[in-house]
Amino acid sequence: MSSAASDTQSTIEQLKTRHDVKIKNARILVVEDSDLIRELIGACLMTDGYFNISYAENGQDALEVIELQVPDLIVLDLEMPIMDGFELCKELRSRQSTASIPILIQSGRDTAADITRAFDLGATDMIVKPIKKFEILARTKVHLEHRFFVEKLTDFHDRVASELEQARQLQLDICPSKEELISFHSLYGLRIGWHYEPSSELGGDIGGIYPIDENRIAFYIADFSGHGVAAALNTFRMQTWLSSSANLYSSPDLLLKALNQFLYQSLPRGSYATMLFGCLDLTNNVLEYSAAGTQPPLLKQSSAPFDLFSLFESKGMPLGLRPDWDYALNIVDFPIGAQLILYSDALVEVDLTDGGFLGEKGLEQEVNEIWKTHHEHSPTKCLSELIDRFHRRAGSNANDDLTIIHIKNEGQANDV
Amino acid sequence: MKEQIKKSDGILEIIISEKLTFEDHNKFRELLKMVNKDQQSQCQINLKHLESIDSAGLGMLMIAFETAEKEGVGFEIRSPTGQVKRLLEISQFDRVMTITHD
Repeated sequence: MSSAASDTQSTIEQLKTRHDVKIKNARILVVEDSDLIRELIGACLMTDGYFNISYAENGQDALEVIELQVPDLIVLDLEMPIMDGFELCKELRSRQSTASIPILIQSGRDTAADITRAFDLGATDMIVKPIKKFEILARTKVHLEHRFFVEKLTDFHDRVASELEQARQLQLDICPSKEELISFHSLYGLRIGWHYEPSSELGGDIGGIYPIDENRIAFYIADFSGHGVAAALNTFRMQTWLSSSANLYSSPDLLLKALNQFLYQSLPRGSYATMLFGCLDLTNNVLEYSAAGTQPPLLKQSSAPFDLFSLFESKGMPLGLRPDWDYALNIVDFPIGAQLILYSDALVEVDLTDGGFLGEKGLEQEVNEIWKTHHEHSPTKCLSELIDRFHRRAGSNANDDLTIIHIKNEGQANDV
Repeated sequence: MKEQIKKSDGILEIIISEKLTFEDHNKFRELLKMVNKDQQSQCQINLKHLESIDSAGLGMLMIAFETAEKEGVGFEIRSPTGQVKRLLEISQFDRVMTITHD
């Protein structure tokens, strides 16, 4: 046997031993009104190494014992005075602390009606008297093992769920706060709506805003490929890189080139991020942006009622896939009244009732329809309607993060 | 994902249908083990019947290209349609690899 195989074998043996010890430490409660049978069952269990055994003479007595310490398994007789096994079963299953304890019925009552009733009331398994040592030991072991495995899995599941929840909260914390968004309105005359909705799993969406100086502000939306913890961790990796690259905020093309190189060196092959990074110059009312395979942004370049949102260029190699990639710099007018909508793919990849996806064209049409209908209202209402429509389509099946960023140039404070 | 393999005249054609997603990662990697310069000079991934692709699927296509590139085998993506075609276009894959359309 190789050294590695021998190590594995030895680890398995150690785990088995640890597991056996845990089983033998199990707390077992024997509930039986006959002194003789109660002691017989106890003796049986002790011969197999169980030592943590307590006893009760009837259901009422058992509840008092359980009150002091909840057992890992109960061996229960059905016919007893004061409170019988059926009643005890029912009572235990109704209490949260005892609902999942394995209950091993041992009884002379073996009619179909009795057996059915016992299982209906929550019995886990049944042994018919006379007691056979090998049978009671085998079943005790099986049910204890099952209980400990389930317990272990449940603990693991709960721990992971709690860690994922914390990670999700951290992702939410990256998004700009309501207060920050309001401050951008007073500082830059930008009304910004931000909607980030993590899916049930952790996802790879990220977005952010970076003020550059009193007239310029940068923003971005990005989405890492795949789902789950790896994609979510990558969003933090990107956030860290961006925070230390302020000198590139006003040059989106150069920023994407440098970020692409960083991600190409950091990510496993085939993993990538799509991104749109933009910089708004509010002195000249110009938007400069570069894109890396992200969803095409929707842009409405004036507040004139006849002007509509249109899909703009967003072609570009996703970040991290190819080295030394050059990204185009798009320069467009963003006058007072202009509006921009950035969104993650979840918004357009939602299924339609008549089949197929909504798609970018479908979204363009929908946005124009909503903005036209809610013309008199604030962009917040338009954004809410867009989100509502997404929810109506996706229902509770959304398995990807949803990010929507809406930016409207309402004119800087000194312009108004 | 469903796949069909055709080999003829030094061409390995991998026909992929239905959906190419994150769940297909291992299966797709296994398929790429067939790309070998001693057995073929050209690898074609036929996407004519591929209905949709997610971000992980797109990454797999780049891995397929890089595998062929490393092996010194020619590479071509054939006949993408609908959402798959759109995603390939938006990601400028045509600037790296040959993509032919029907």
